[in-house]
Amino acid sequence: MAILSQLLQVLVSGDFWQLALRDGALLALPALGGVLSERSGVTNIAMEGMMLTGAFFSVVAALSFHNPWMAVIVAMLAGGAMALIHAFISIRFRADQIISGFAINIAAVGLTTFLNAKLSNFRGLQQVDPSGRLPTINVPLLDNIPFLGQVFFQQNIIVYVSLALLAIANLVLFRTRLGLRLRAVGEHPEAADTAGINVYRLRYGAVIMSGLLSGLAGAFLAIGIANIFNDNMTSGRGYIALAAMIFGKWTPWGAFVACMIFGVGDALAASTGVINVPQYFLQMVPYVLALVVLAGLVGRSTPPAADGIPYTPGGE
Amino acid sequence: MSRTRMRLVALATCLMLLLPVLAACGGTSSTSGGSSANTIKVGLVTDTGGLNDKGFNSLANQGLQKAKSELGIQADVTQSTKASDYVPNLTNFASRGYNLVIAVGFLMASAVGQVSQQYPNVKFALIDSTPADAKGNSVTRSNVTSLLFKEQEAGALVGILTGMLEKQGKTPKKSHIVGAVGGQKIPPVDHYIAGFQWGVAKEDPSAKVLVAYSDEFSDPTPCANKTDTQISQGADVVFQVAGGCGLGVLTEGGKKGIYTIGVDTDQSASDQSVIASAVKRVETATFDAIKSVKDGSFQSGTVLFDLKNDGVGFVKGNLPVPADIQTEIDSVTNQIKSGAVTVPDTVKP
Repeated sequence: MAILSQLLQVLVSGDFWQLALRDGALLALPALGGVLSERSGVTNIAMEGMMLTGAFFSVVAALSFHNPWMAVIVAMLAGGAMALIHAFISIRFRADQIISGFAINIAAVGLTTFLNAKLSNFRGLQQVDPSGRLPTINVPLLDNIPFLGQVFFQQNIIVYVSLALLAIANLVLFRTRLGLRLRAVGEHPEAADTAGINVYRLRYGAVIMSGLLSGLAGAFLAIGIANIFNDNMTSGRGYIALAAMIFGKWTPWGAFVACMIFGVGDALAASTGVINVPQYFLQMVPYVLALVVLAGLVGRSTPPAADGIPYTPGGE
Repeated sequence: MSRTRMRLVALATCLMLLLPVLAACGGTSSTSGGSSANTIKVGLVTDTGGLNDKGFNSLANQGLQKAKSELGIQADVTQSTKASDYVPNLTNFASRGYNLVIAVGFLMASAVGQVSQQYPNVKFALIDSTPADAKGNSVTRSNVTSLLFKEQEAGALVGILTGMLEKQGKTPKKSHIVGAVGGQKIPPVDHYIAGFQWGVAKEDPSAKVLVAYSDEFSDPTPCANKTDTQISQGADVVFQVAGGCGLGVLTEGGKKGIYTIGVDTDQSASDQSVIASAVKRVETATFDAIKSVKDGSFQSGTVLFDLKNDGVGFVKGNLPVPADIQTEIDSVTNQIKSGAVTVPDTVKP
């Protein structure tokens, strides 16, 4: 019973939900990238690598320009560049997209670890000073609402950006001609091609978007939360985002709900001092929860029909 | 292009991507000048915290670099990215005829125990622990010197500062609740925390000390999250004992307007919220060990660093320390140095 009351104490605190939403919004960016990429028919497991690359270059840029916005742009370009490689390999060369994604993830670890050592003479890059950090924005008036104010209106700027992007992506994907074409390309590229849609261009665009979004998430992690670069600092968040994408049935809001479950898990794991159970157990909870929900509640999760299948005009 | 040729190009592109990984695998950085026959070769292996932890590992590296410039040794560093790297990294140096291999961290105790037995002619310096066998039981090796610190004495002094600030109502929330975020429940971390608990309780017996472990030494995010939780429980001073991870404590504390305390080295530049740091002069210990090999005075066994020999200490941060508190810190320092009081080294539940 003590544990239940401790759990309750945690669940009613604003700090807990503030943290959960922050981590959920962080994961939502690469998850959304994955949704766009896979909806267009390109399997993408490379969010981890693109995020790590973004994280690294955001720190490099923040240290050189002392400006978080420049750093965000550089991070997004870096993530986008990694995505372009993935797009090139999987669309132009029709290679196995899982292997290409995997290569990107491994290459990103090597590249950033190497450059981190190289640029700093093996000491590791400096901590980003406050002028280069992404700010927390307290929305005037609304942030004074008890509980809700702290959770929704005292967040890092990227949290708001992430939520806005989710809404926009959902609108574009399901309510516009562009979205319809993107989905068509991912379900039945031959038909789309016959109808005069440029399959390759849409796929390139979607994959690069996933890189930009993952790069943004990397910047959020590196100069919004940690304020420093550490080797392999994304530590699997890209893969969690991948799981969230599948979990959310390849829809932006579905992926976001899944991301929030993992966000709550992160916040729970941080509460070990309050809840009196071993922390490893708490860290396990979100993943067990994910398994249970995935097996029991979500039902069958079907990817877009042409996901992972390179498109060859005329069927070769 | 034919399909086969496409595949070949794709494969080649993928292989190109792997190049940086291969480059990084040989992660040994030779920062040496010319190595003549009688130049002493020293290899340093970091624990998973890595060189950019702004604390422990980077301090050991400072000592190494100082030795390189002052003693003219050949200095090489290998960073460990996971626990399974320890034995290969140590063996790599030992097997290539290095005179001294420095292992940074308690977590490498059994790796050193194993490798030092295989290479009896190579000398080892192990920071923060005595060598251990595979089961973690301490063992004796005639070629290993253990550099140990009484972290609890440094922890006690930052505890005194925190306790007095709480008692006098000079902390941000006047909550009489403070926190400590450790990286992992291992002796060097717990020594600091035990000292901190003792110092706080000595000055403000009503204060509550929250203790949490992040299970992480490099990624700052889990530590920032732990700090959030402690703040939600009312903590207004948080002591980080988690290396690079703990930098997250300092910046998160700054964001939320509480005081924080740095560890291992003066961390006041990391964030405005840092009011003091509990330091541990790993650089001095490392330098001394290298020097002892250079001048032939190397001895196996244990070297202990404490307040008395200036091996650990208290460094001011971004908050001016009031005169009465400074007096108290000085007086406790003297009592510890003289042996009049002993600071406990185990964390109270």
